[in-house]
Order: sequence, then structure tokens, then C-alpha cells
Amino acid sequence: MAALVSRYADRLRVPPGPPPPVIDLDPPQGWADWAREMAGRMAGRDAVVRYLARRAVVVRRDGWRQVTSPALVRLETSARERTALLAVWGQPRLGGWIRALVEPRPTRTWSPSPGMRCPVIFADGTAGALLHELVGHLVEGDLVASGRTPLAGLGGANLTEAAIDLIDDPGRSDLPGAFDCDDEGVPAKPVTLLRRGQLCGLLCDRETAEICDVPAGRGRRADWRHPPVPRLSNLVVPAGDVPPRSIEADLRHGLVITRFSGATVDPISSRTVLRVERGFEIKNGRRRRPLAPFELTGGVTEILAAIDPAVGNDPTPDWRLGWCVKDGLPMPTGSEAPTLMVRRLEVL
Amino acid sequence: MTARMQPEELSGRLSQATEVCRSFLGSGDARRWEVFAKSSLTRETEVVDGRLRRTVQVEESGIGVRVWDGSRAGFAAASGLDASSARSAVSAARAGAAPGPDPMPPERLLGTTAVDPGPKMPPRGWAQHVTTELGLALSSLSGGVLRLGRAIAQEGRYGWRLCTAEDWSVEHQRTVASMLVEVLVGDRPGTWREWIHVADPESFAAEATAARIGNRALLTRHGIATDRGLHDLLLHPEVSAQLLAAISPLFLATPDDQDPLPGLLGPNGLLSAYALTLVDDRSDPAAPVVGPCDGEGLPARRTLLLEEGAPRHRVASFADARRFDETPRGGAVRLSYRDRPSTGLANLRVLTDNGMAAGQLLTASDRALYLLRTLAPVTCDLSDGTYSLIASGVWIEHQRVRGWHPVVELSGDLGALLRRIDAVGTDLSWFQTPGGFVGAPSLLIRRQPVVG
Repeated sequence: MAALVSRYADRLRVPPGPPPPVIDLDPPQGWADWAREMAGRMAGRDAVVRYLARRAVVVRRDGWRQVTSPALVRLETSARERTALLAVWGQPRLGGWIRALVEPRPTRTWSPSPGMRCPVIFADGTAGALLHELVGHLVEGDLVASGRTPLAGLGGANLTEAAIDLIDDPGRSDLPGAFDCDDEGVPAKPVTLLRRGQLCGLLCDRETAEICDVPAGRGRRADWRHPPVPRLSNLVVPAGDVPPRSIEADLRHGLVITRFSGATVDPISSRTVLRVERGFEIKNGRRRRPLAPFELTGGVTEILAAIDPAVGNDPTPDWRLGWCVKDGLPMPTGSEAPTLMVRRLEVL
Repeated sequence: MTARMQPEELSGRLSQATEVCRSFLGSGDARRWEVFAKSSLTRETEVVDGRLRRTVQVEESGIGVRVWDGSRAGFAAASGLDASSARSAVSAARAGAAPGPDPMPPERLLGTTAVDPGPKMPPRGWAQHVTTELGLALSSLSGGVLRLGRAIAQEGRYGWRLCTAEDWSVEHQRTVASMLVEVLVGDRPGTWREWIHVADPESFAAEATAARIGNRALLTRHGIATDRGLHDLLLHPEVSAQLLAAISPLFLATPDDQDPLPGLLGPNGLLSAYALTLVDDRSDPAAPVVGPCDGEGLPARRTLLLEEGAPRHRVASFADARRFDETPRGGAVRLSYRDRPSTGLANLRVLTDNGMAAGQLLTASDRALYLLRTLAPVTCDLSDGTYSLIASGVWIEHQRVRGWHPVVELSGDLGALLRRIDAVGTDLSWFQTPGGFVGAPSLLIRRQPVVG
């Protein structure tokens, strides 16, 4: 780094203080053996195992800031059931997630009828992915500043009657979206987006923070070639006090989702499409038939309004969706959420 | 444009980089080698509400080296075009070599096809000028209903040089341009997004582009109407492109025992209806990816993939062609200097010689669902022959729009869908998809079950 700066010393005004020490980017010892073992567990399917380490330094007039984020592991399988996971390297639950990833697709599945509207329980951390789409992206500063979000102008409004808090927390180093300062050198701090269901925070880089008059700290770069843009980090919903089993037990008929394969929000209609990979039908409070892959849809504000006040006491990280793509640029993000129920969603 | 991207200057730098590699490689034990040096300049200009918001210019150069020492093959890449980059790439390729056959095509297969050098890089200010023109055209065309919110113009110039141990070399330089446009539709809170491939920046036609955007975006203003049952479908070129991208792996060489194509063929051996003919066209000067050769030096050509519904050829890199017993047809792509050449489609496109004008397609059905855009990537499970397409569209009855269907899912048997394609349009446009660049026209599909 020092050599790089000295090469451009005539163009740069080097800030005071020494540059941060060089950090080893090599994978940890034994990584290759671990990767081979993981690939061997893929039940005969082709698999790609990646170790992703990123280091960056932000050099500004007033000093140096090293951007540190945890090393990540990405597993992708191809062939019959294309699926993937993203997790922090060293995450103690990684082994269990890999086992879940390679579990064969259930047989004798049931496909809910298109057009069916029913209560849907988001279990096993899938509520985090739901709120990532419904709230996380839609409070990013660039969308808010340009009015291109259905949540624009709703600051202070109750979006949901569930008294949930929703926090974007880059300090959660066990989740893939963690960093100690953003790519503009702003130290990482949690931002509360919803407090007891009320919209109260935005996610901004330095530029949009000025426009929206909120603190910066979410300027993230997809890579060195791209300027920082407002992006979320790790969305966290604190635990409620309802055992998830009792949320399911109170349901006469509905669906419980245990894994997503993708989620999007259509910018023109503000409707979200959630691709369900795994789940179950619930009848009289009990899980019945496993679900075949299908999609759920609904309007953003309607879904938020239909979140049930009962919040599970089981905050669970999502491991399935981690690469979040915005404007074609992927970036690691994370989420952790307890079981939540949406009282009415439509099957596509 | 920086001085380093002037054509002569760039050519000199690429040539120097490959010669330095040659000198390092000449002193080693590599029996065969190949050096790929590339430099690119991209300029991204963002205009918001008619005002220039920012310009980002990125210059990137690097060298990729493949070596084979008679029993071991290696590949490595390093950023930069200077001697230290060349040394890093060469030594890392040697150090990382693993036992394997020679992955590089023999010299007798190498060659070039004459290509148009392409237009010049547009002058500074081009992006702001054309977006201003586009904004005015959109407003004028729609009576003020459509307003250009944000536009990102991407202009780029790149050059690369490929040379081998046998003294074969080729060099190519080209300019590319595209635009991402976000349009506000009336007082609707959302935005309409459109990506536009600009084949020639100098002849960019703002009115025609505005018409292309407005034709679709204005349709979303209609009231909501949904329906189900067996209906004709009309796919806008963007939806067609997403569908074709999802089936594009069918045209890549694979081992016979993993090839899903036979399971998708109908009783007459056809994958699709007669109306569909697909090629990987590396020789069309209007296509996004154009060059004198493929990623490893085989002459650029048009490869017939599907002829009137019947599968013809599959593309493969030289190494994959040898593995899977295919004839090498120049099917390698290099995504960047960092990537080794791999099997891939450069420009998947539909031949529209027997197509109908898009207006005729719209009148070819009394009642049809016209799908305007996808809401999620089209997914195809090629092993069990199923697909899922989530899109929004409008219902058209007797040439009149009856209403907007904001989310509809089509899913089912992929082969049945492809064999119901009744006609293709002549309105071919290029799109960037997860499966690469696809040139697609409108497609008319008869009697498709619509369920949601």
C-alpha cells in the first residue's frame, strides 16, 4: 500500500499517520482440505466451494481507514437442484447448513393453487430475507432521495402493527454483511429502521446522507471499480416472546416457509415476488405435506401491514440468500430474524 | 478518453506486454503457451433529472497466460501491462500448473475473420447530450406522462492482443456503448427501467429510443385486469431474451450422459416449433460481442444452434470440444483477462428472416396476454424439462388493451412451451441477461395455460 501511494504521491496528498499494516489474504491453513471435504459431501453433485476474503483501505484527506470484513464461504451446487449458501468462515453452524443444503428435495410434494390467499409463516430465518426486500432495500438513501420507493415520505409512520424492531447492524461479524467501517471510511454503527413497527431510519452513504439529513455509514462498493452506493448490511430482528411452535399451532390452514431461493421487488408495481424453495402446508396447527417450489406475491405496503403481532422467540440467521444484487452489482448481506407470520399472501 | 487509450498508443502497450511475456516464457520449459493482454476504459455517466450527477471512469489492464510443459497445464493472470505484471502472470502460471493435456488449440485451427473496427469512442459530453435529447423525446411522445428520471450512459473502449508460442498473434480494438434508463410513469410511484444496447453512439436516435421505451412503459398505466385459462401469449423481446437465456445451457457442449437436450425433444425430434432458429453470432457487427476470433484464436463465425426447431450444433472451447467429441467451432469466451477461455455463447440470437412485423403479431390474436417484462429471472430445470416465468403484461382484446396484469406466473413443460411458438417478430433487440447477450424479437406463443 505504501508503495502504491508513493507511486502516486505527486497526485495524492498523503494523509497524516502511517498506513495500516499489510494483512494476509491467504486462506487459512487447511482450507483446501476443508473445501475438498465439503465438495465430497455434495452427494455426487458438481459443487463450487469459494473462500472470499476482502480487504480495503479508504484514504481520505484526514486519514487512513482500513475496511475489515469477515472472510466468507460460498458453496454452489449445480445440476438438478441449483442451490447455494453464503456464510462467514468459521461460523459454528456452517456444518449444519451444509447438511441442509445437500438434503435431497422432498418427494410427494404439494403445490398450492395459484391465486390462493392464505396466512404464511416465515420460519428458520426466512423472515429476514422477506424484510430485506420489503424494508431494507426500500430505505436505501438513493431510492429515498429520488422518491423511487413506496416507503418515501412514510418516515414516522407505522408500517406494521407488529411491534417489531428492525436493525441494520454491520457489527454482527457472524453475518456476511459485516464490516468495521463502510467503504467511505465511516465507522460502522447499527441503524434502527423500524422501532415497534414505526419507520424511523434510513441507510445512506455520505452523499445521500446530506440530502436526507441522516448519518452516513452505508456507502458500500461492489469492488474498486465502482463508486460507493447506499446498501444495507445485516438486517436483524430481535426475538419476540412467542414460541414458534405456538404460532404454527394456532393456524388452521396456511403455509410455513423454511427456505427461499430468491426474492425481488418490481420497481414499477411495488410488488414483491418471493421464490419458495422449501416449506410445508399447515393444517390444524401441524406441518403436513412438503411444498414443491412455488412463488408468493403481494404489494410491499400490504404485506408489511399484514404482519401478525406474534413474534417468535427464535432469531435465526438466513444462510441461503446472501448475495444481494442491486443495479447488477452483487454484495454480501446477511439477516437474522425470528419466526413471523403474514396474515395474507397470494400464491402465484 | 485518456492518451493511453488512443488506438496506436494502446496497440503499442499491448504489443509490448505480450513481447515481455514472450521473453519470460522463452527462457522456461513451456512447450506451448498463449498470452492474452487486455486494456479497457469505461466511462459511466449518470444524469438525474437532466443534471449530470457523476461520471466514473475506470481503466483496467491485465495479462492472462496459459502454459503447457508437455504434461502439465497452468493459467494465471496479473493486473497491469508492465514487466512486473508479465513476470507475475508467467511465473504464477508455471507454478500453478497441474497434470493435464494441452488445453490450447493447435496452430492449424487458429485464424481470424475480418471485423468492423466499430465506431469511435463518443466525445465527452455525449452522454449528457443524448440523455437530454431522450428526456425531451420521451416527454413529447407521451404528452408529459413519461419523465426521464435517471439515465446511466456507459461508454467503453477496449483493446486486446492474443499471441502464441508459434508466433501467431491477433489484435482487436472496439468501442461499446449502452444506456440504463429509469422513467417515471405519470404519478405512479414506481419507475420503469430499460437497458439499451447502443450499436453506434454517433447515430443514436433519441426519438426511436423514446418510442421503444414509451411503447411499453405507457401500457402499465391501464387499470388492473387479470384472467386465466388457455390464451395466446405475446412475449416482448426482453421477455423472449430472458427465456432464451434460461435455455442457453442446452447449446453448450456437455458429456452425453449429462445432456438434458434429448429429454426435451418432441416426438419429431424438435426442441421448438419451426419458427425458431437460433445462432451464436460472433460475426454480426451490430452485436454486443464482436471480434476477429473467439477467446482462444479460432476464427469468429456464426454457429447454427437450432434450425427451425431442430438442434444442430453445440459450442465448446477447444478443450471441451476434445473432451466431449465435438468439432471445434470457436466457442470459447474470455470474460476478462483474469478468466481462462471457457465454453460460452457470445451473442445468442434469433434469426428473424421469416419473421412478422411486431404490429402484425399484435393483431394475429383476438385475445392475448402481452408480456412486457420479467419480474424475476426465468428459471428452467433442464433436467426435468420445466420452467417458471414471472412477468407483468397487458391483456389485449381485438387489438385494444383491456388492462394491466401486474404479476403473472407461467410454468410447466418447457418443451411444450417452445413447440407452441407460432411466429417470431422482426423487432430484434439486444439484451444483457444472466446468460450473456441475447438478441431476441417478439415471440407469439399459441394457447398457453395462464394460471395466475
